[in-house]
Amino acid sequence: MGTTAVGDGSAVARPGAGHGPVPGAGRALEKTARGGGTRGGGGTRRGPGGRGSRGGLGNRGGLGGRGGRGGRRGRGGRGSWSSRENLAGYLFMSPWLAGFLLLTAGPMVASLYFAFTDYNLFDAPRWIGLANFTEMFGDERWRHSVSLTLWYVVIGTPLKLAAALGVALLLSRSRRGQAFYRAAFYAPSLIGASVSIAIVWKAIFSDDAVVDRTQRLFGVDAGGWIGDPDLIVYSLVALTVWQFGAPMVIFLAGLKQVPVSLYEAAEVDGAGPLRRFWNITLPMISPVLFFNVLLETIHSFQIFGSAYILGGAGGTCGPADGTLVYTCYLYIQGFENSRMGLASAMAWMLLLAVGLVTAVLFWSQRRWVHYEEAAR
Amino acid sequence: MPGTDGVDRRGLLKIAGGTLAALGLTAAGCGGGSGSADGTVTLRYAWWGSEDRAKRINETIALFEKKHPKIKVKTDFQPYLDFWKKFNTQASGGNPPDVFQNAIGFLRKYDAKNVLLDLNQQVKAGNLSMGNFRAGLEKFGEVDGKLLGVPVGSNSMALVIDKKVFARAGVTPEPGWTWDDFHRAMRTIRQTQGRSGDTGYYGVMYLYDLYLRQQGKAFFTEDGLGFTEADLTDWWTTGYEGVKAGVYADPKKIAQVRPKSGVTAEIGACEFTWDNFTVRYSSEGTSDYGLAPIPTMDGRKTGQYLGSLMLSASRRTKHPEEAARFIDFMVHDPEVGRIMGYDRGVLTTTEQYAAFEPADDVNKEIAAYEKRLVDSGVLEKITPHPAGADVAESAFLRIAEEMAMGKRSVGDAVEQFFTESKTALGA
Repeated sequence: MGTTAVGDGSAVARPGAGHGPVPGAGRALEKTARGGGTRGGGGTRRGPGGRGSRGGLGNRGGLGGRGGRGGRRGRGGRGSWSSRENLAGYLFMSPWLAGFLLLTAGPMVASLYFAFTDYNLFDAPRWIGLANFTEMFGDERWRHSVSLTLWYVVIGTPLKLAAALGVALLLSRSRRGQAFYRAAFYAPSLIGASVSIAIVWKAIFSDDAVVDRTQRLFGVDAGGWIGDPDLIVYSLVALTVWQFGAPMVIFLAGLKQVPVSLYEAAEVDGAGPLRRFWNITLPMISPVLFFNVLLETIHSFQIFGSAYILGGAGGTCGPADGTLVYTCYLYIQGFENSRMGLASAMAWMLLLAVGLVTAVLFWSQRRWVHYEEAAR
Repeated sequence: MPGTDGVDRRGLLKIAGGTLAALGLTAAGCGGGSGSADGTVTLRYAWWGSEDRAKRINETIALFEKKHPKIKVKTDFQPYLDFWKKFNTQASGGNPPDVFQNAIGFLRKYDAKNVLLDLNQQVKAGNLSMGNFRAGLEKFGEVDGKLLGVPVGSNSMALVIDKKVFARAGVTPEPGWTWDDFHRAMRTIRQTQGRSGDTGYYGVMYLYDLYLRQQGKAFFTEDGLGFTEADLTDWWTTGYEGVKAGVYADPKKIAQVRPKSGVTAEIGACEFTWDNFTVRYSSEGTSDYGLAPIPTMDGRKTGQYLGSLMLSASRRTKHPEEAARFIDFMVHDPEVGRIMGYDRGVLTTTEQYAAFEPADDVNKEIAAYEKRLVDSGVLEKITPHPAGADVAESAFLRIAEEMAMGKRSVGDAVEQFFTESKTALGA
């Protein structure tokens, strides 16, 4: 973790050059992602930009990358040296490239073709044009899965980010044992996606378990959420909110970049804590916020595991389709009903939808994301 | 930041895997290690079921390998739904297991997809005997003159009851009892025991099939549904009213105890299911479980038939002879019968049937139940299950649950079921 986690990632949105003349937070942000690796082949850009600052989880070499760009490789001219170097680069990447072409790009192209066919895995695919798509739109279950997924995204993502930001604010101050708390709050996001946690979750939200008893203390007799097709989606939301550790670490890094002088000046001018948060903290971390919104939204659209396990014990994604999120329905059509053509069409539809949402988010950032020039 | 998206990726991997299989890129893995220099042959054998079944089967395989040192058997098992997902993927990639567990409802489906081996040739070659089957069971795996499966156990629908609750409520189901008797008994149990009667009979496709057969109809015809919207509306209206009155279990409670049965979880007192499931219920719950007859309309006709689990071989197998020998051993060897018991239903061949003397009450009761069915002559011929029947069955269960939970009106549920099953059955 530590140094590499936040700063040393590949670009999520746009690899390589940033947009606009903004080094500092914005630029570095684009170089940030979960998982390692540096994109933009050939390796012109090296590692996390900027100097590391003092300790703290997720703080080092982090988002800030003050002063922006990492060193360019100075040695040698362009010419043969660099093309040989490129070749070496591609060679080193070749296992990954082969995997990408065979395991990702190939199947994607195939599934694009299948999306326009009737394909049951056994007989040869039969071209049926747009019939899969028209069937999809006419299918009541499909529409249900779409609205359930949207509801999950719209409820879950803001709650998760609010939790992440709230805790990050608490943890950003220097205090005794802070490192421990940071680790403790981060931990759920490491284990939260596991099958065992989903099973524990099921136990927590069943009849007569913790949640049921607690709500009865308040006079609510709703029963366990797992058996209720209207409530079970909220146990999924609770599960994703609980895993706020990853965006929290990113927020923490962002908060560390806000110059203390701004707060001091505001305090002198008599601004209260709320005012300071609203007028200084939020605008200053808006690039980080944007990044988290983007990532978590995309991530939420892809929910599968928790829905499949929490709703999976009797009829898949039950009860009464209560956890039938989009990918679950896709899975059922593909693997239970052997309708791979329809499932492929659904997958492409999801890709389009997520692409659209991402585009809207990028478009919207002009209005609310504040890239500080020469943040200092 | 690993971890947060692990499962999604796994989900996508499955999809990618499926697509890959479709592309035939996994063809390289075909038939790996199935033959070797010293003439040893390896068979792959897959089934659905629980740990308990796996333990028994592994014992029988050890026995087989001892007697056939040149044949090795590699095993694989999953729960029912997962089994078919995996099987579909393997079979479409040209790499299905050599021998696998099968059921009547799937014979036509996979025959149409050229997956199943016609075992008649092996019978003629003397590698597989179809003699000594009870109650005409040797005909069960035949479709259009082809022998596509060999029955390993026979079973029939029954009402599995919690005997203690029934006794306390003073309810004794007799053969020939009617649906009115049944509903009355459920009300009695509810009133005297404070427990719901049944756990959700209205969603059990195989039971509704019997109800229809009692009226001379059936759930499926050769290529579609054998009943009308009005029929199903009646059936589900009764069910819905019973759920509202608490006579039938609250589906929300049932959903939470799954995969456990609502009977062993002590939410309801009885459940319509296959008779051999009593074995499972007895290990799952703490009460005593027994079998009661299917209610009738006229006091006699139950509409029942013997169902069966079978062993089938893959048409792609490189070792049809060994596969046939293996199946032959599994259905005829008395020792195998003793090990398996009635786990997959009442043993089908007379050798095995004679070899296994049920010692416990549960197995005894299953044997007595099926013997009575055979002797009383109520059994009829099974009606066909068209391709897509499995999809229609799960839609029936799911939509019935939505209706019972109040997510849909009965009318809406009926309409939705007819829409979905028309798609599934391609009619």
